[in-house]
Amino acid sequence: MTIVRSFRLWCLAFVCVLAVALLDAPSTASAQVRIAHLESLVKCPACDDLSVAQSNATSSIAVRHDITRRVYEGESDNKILTSLEATYGTSILLSPSTSGLGLLLWLVPLGVLLALAVAGVRMVRRR
Amino acid sequence: MKRTVTMICVVVLAIVIAFSGFLATRKPVGPATEAPSPLLGTLAPALKGHELGGGTFSLRRERGNIVIVNFWASWCPPCIQEAPELSTYAWRVRTHGVVVVGVVFNDTVSSATAFAAHYGSLYPSVIDPGGNIANLYGVTSPPTTFVINRHGRVVATLLGATTATQLAAVVAKVSS
Amino acid sequence: MTLTWLGRVALYVAFLATLGGIIHQVISLRANRPSRSIRWALVSLAGIVGAVGVMQFALITHNFSLAYVSENNATFTPLLYSITGMWSALEGSLLLWSLLLCAIIVLVLHYYRRRSQDPVVSWAALVLFGVSAFFLGLMCGPADPFIHNADKVLQGAGPNALLQDNPLVAIHPPLLYMGFVGFTVPFAFAIAMLITGRVHDRWALEQRRWTVLAWGVLSVGVVLGAWWSYQVLGWGGFWGWDPVENAALLPWLTATAYIHSVIVQDRRGLFRVWNLSLAIATFALTVLGTFFTRSGVLQSVHAFSSSTLGPLLIGFFFVTVALGVGLLAWRGDRLRSPVGVDHPLSREGLFIANNVLFVGFAVVVLLGTVFPLLYEAVNGGQVTVGTPYFATVAVPMSIVLLVLMSLAPLVGWRNLDVGVLWSRIRVSAWASLIMVVALIIGGVRRPMVLLAYFLATAAAGAAFRTLRGAFIAAKRRHQPWYDALRGPSAGGMVVHLGVVVMALAIVTSTSYTTRNEVTLATGQSTVVSGQYVTFHGFRTVKDSLETATQLRVDVNHHALLPAITTYGGRKAQPVGTPAIDSSLARDVYVTFDAVGGNGAASGAQVEGDLPAGSVVLGVTVEPLLAWLWIGGLLLGVGSALSFVRRRQGDEGDA
Repeated sequence: MTIVRSFRLWCLAFVCVLAVALLDAPSTASAQVRIAHLESLVKCPACDDLSVAQSNATSSIAVRHDITRRVYEGESDNKILTSLEATYGTSILLSPSTSGLGLLLWLVPLGVLLALAVAGVRMVRRR
Repeated sequence: MKRTVTMICVVVLAIVIAFSGFLATRKPVGPATEAPSPLLGTLAPALKGHELGGGTFSLRRERGNIVIVNFWASWCPPCIQEAPELSTYAWRVRTHGVVVVGVVFNDTVSSATAFAAHYGSLYPSVIDPGGNIANLYGVTSPPTTFVINRHGRVVATLLGATTATQLAAVVAKVSS
Repeated sequence: MTLTWLGRVALYVAFLATLGGIIHQVISLRANRPSRSIRWALVSLAGIVGAVGVMQFALITHNFSLAYVSENNATFTPLLYSITGMWSALEGSLLLWSLLLCAIIVLVLHYYRRRSQDPVVSWAALVLFGVSAFFLGLMCGPADPFIHNADKVLQGAGPNALLQDNPLVAIHPPLLYMGFVGFTVPFAFAIAMLITGRVHDRWALEQRRWTVLAWGVLSVGVVLGAWWSYQVLGWGGFWGWDPVENAALLPWLTATAYIHSVIVQDRRGLFRVWNLSLAIATFALTVLGTFFTRSGVLQSVHAFSSSTLGPLLIGFFFVTVALGVGLLAWRGDRLRSPVGVDHPLSREGLFIANNVLFVGFAVVVLLGTVFPLLYEAVNGGQVTVGTPYFATVAVPMSIVLLVLMSLAPLVGWRNLDVGVLWSRIRVSAWASLIMVVALIIGGVRRPMVLLAYFLATAAAGAAFRTLRGAFIAAKRRHQPWYDALRGPSAGGMVVHLGVVVMALAIVTSTSYTTRNEVTLATGQSTVVSGQYVTFHGFRTVKDSLETATQLRVDVNHHALLPAITTYGGRKAQPVGTPAIDSSLARDVYVTFDAVGGNGAASGAQVEGDLPAGSVVLGVTVEPLLAWLWIGGLLLGVGSALSFVRRRQGDEGDA
């Protein structure tokens, strides 16, 4: 089998496997998944860097119950996070909100990546 | 000859100067500060429960008094530091319309009782099973003190060990 | 007072000898004479060894005339934890750092003794002495470990609880410091190369050996630190993106970039300026790391108490960077290679991508670490930057990294021949697909997990193929098979395999970990996440060192003793001591979370409605976690192999 044909065969197999994998991927909207996701975003109040999902401190469990209750009451993710911020302050979230200064946390990496990529590309063009 | 490297170096140096200067002027994380808790100005969340020595406490019943709520735990060193201060202050103001109440934060009943007995606590402390009161007040670590005015609004929050003088000053500011 | 003065005199001897070394080097450089500053280095080493000896003597004999000993040691502290008490707090940790630094200076000067008239060696020695002078100077001044206790102290405070319940405290900090101190050497030589203008490719490759050694030691140190955290912190995790953890990661990232990038400089003379920058950046980040750990500016579980050292350390950081950047600005443009990279997907091109990735990630981690300070300065409030942020950046980065690892070892230099690449990667590509199919059949459906396994198999395939090539070449040379392991890329491929194993362990355990709280009465059993857990009862341990309430728990018929332990001493605070049942397939992590009744004696949380004799256990099941440590071991083995590889000039180089 020639190189090109064997490559094409592999690509075909790859696309088939990809299709199967993506078509049957687990859903991300169920309540359990939402709760787990929210719990990973909220810091355990008594800890330095653990989320409430990871810590079993009393305050952590209290917040977990709070989140679960609110999810089943139908509150949106954003509302739950905002109300926790309103009680505990901004430091309760493990990833700062993207409004205001928090935007820097996402722009700077993109900017750095872009700058370095440009530098890399220039290295390639230079002869 | 192109001066690319030199230019990049100048930019990097400028960034590093700003960065170093910024870090050099940061102060280490320290003790009690009048922290801008998000609850400031809002109506204080409900606080009721059983006290350590028996009896019950309810914040609503204290409307008309200034209430100082202090979240503490037996395992926290600053709490040991401020325990005598709080007791002194509580005793001094007990007839002046100021009520001091503690809330046990993330601790066992036995340790809390032992602590209160050892340090001669002269004010009641409420047990908080499940940490629900702490959750309502957004307490992340003890000691945290909330000052609630006669109308039930949170007017000051103190993070870290406090002193009788500091409390007196805050209460005086609130009363005026 | 004797101990205080003995220790201080030893420190002064070390410091003055270092200054002597600096002066000697300056004189030799000006007179163009070969220097014999190794004598000064030896005196300096003797001084610091003396100081360390005094401190260890005081710790082991529980001599509380030293304030440091009374803060970190007690009469009942066991020998091991007395010894490790030296690096439990700030001033003592500087003793360890300086000891390693003075030792490595002697090592370097001895290693290059035959080339001592080479100005590169002389300038490097000068820089090394300068760095040593700084750290010794700190201890002679603001960070004095030998302060005398004015009052007579009968009992010390003892070490921190978490620093005396696991023997890894004896290994992790020394390894970490060895790695950090090791990075001083490539930095010194980079400065020397810039000053003398002699950026010999030979020197760069030479420095790579030192860097690989330091990198290997640091990698193993970091992995052991993660293992230690895992065993004692009680949440079943191993990395928290804590500022001090990040501080150790930053130089590791730039060092990794350097190790790879220097290969290209050796082969094709490219990336010279970039590599010098990386060597300087790695050391600068090491100094920045000491700042984060010792200044008290960032909140961390791992940080030493705050001190006045902050401005001094950041000042040293600035001087280091200013020196490096200044020299680069002066010399840099003249050092640039006249040739370029011919094809973006050639091996050089992929190495560029590698550099971009690692340095970019380092910048992101640095930003995330200092962002809370920035936010507080601008907005006045507090924010936390934790796992969700770092993970969001780390995941795409890891994906690209695995892709690079799958391609780079198989791609040629200068040009890309797609046909040749496909013929080399074909087997790995099919293996990856088969792996994904097997996983799907086995019930694994999460796209991220499937992607990780797909890429990991491809990356492992590239490593195996390269190793296979080395074995075949060895056979052709009629050498025994293990001679292949001394080839130029064998060590690196073993490291890659280690990285692949660690990546899979991380992905699998973070995606499929289940956390449960089970309530059990004495004698009761239950099945949780497929594990059969029985609680047999309580057991109390009480001796001079500790008071512990242990739970006799069986997990799948293996006995475990999760506990709550209170160590003696002033710093006494109950800490949870987790128990782990480890196997290749999964780790079962058991913690004593709460007790019923009024639980007076144990110090555990009391759960309101439980009867006495019942307990709440945290049972966390983490699949494939043990492979993380196995992967870490492979990292160490691979870097050791890379260190002992055949050097240029030996026959049979690929």
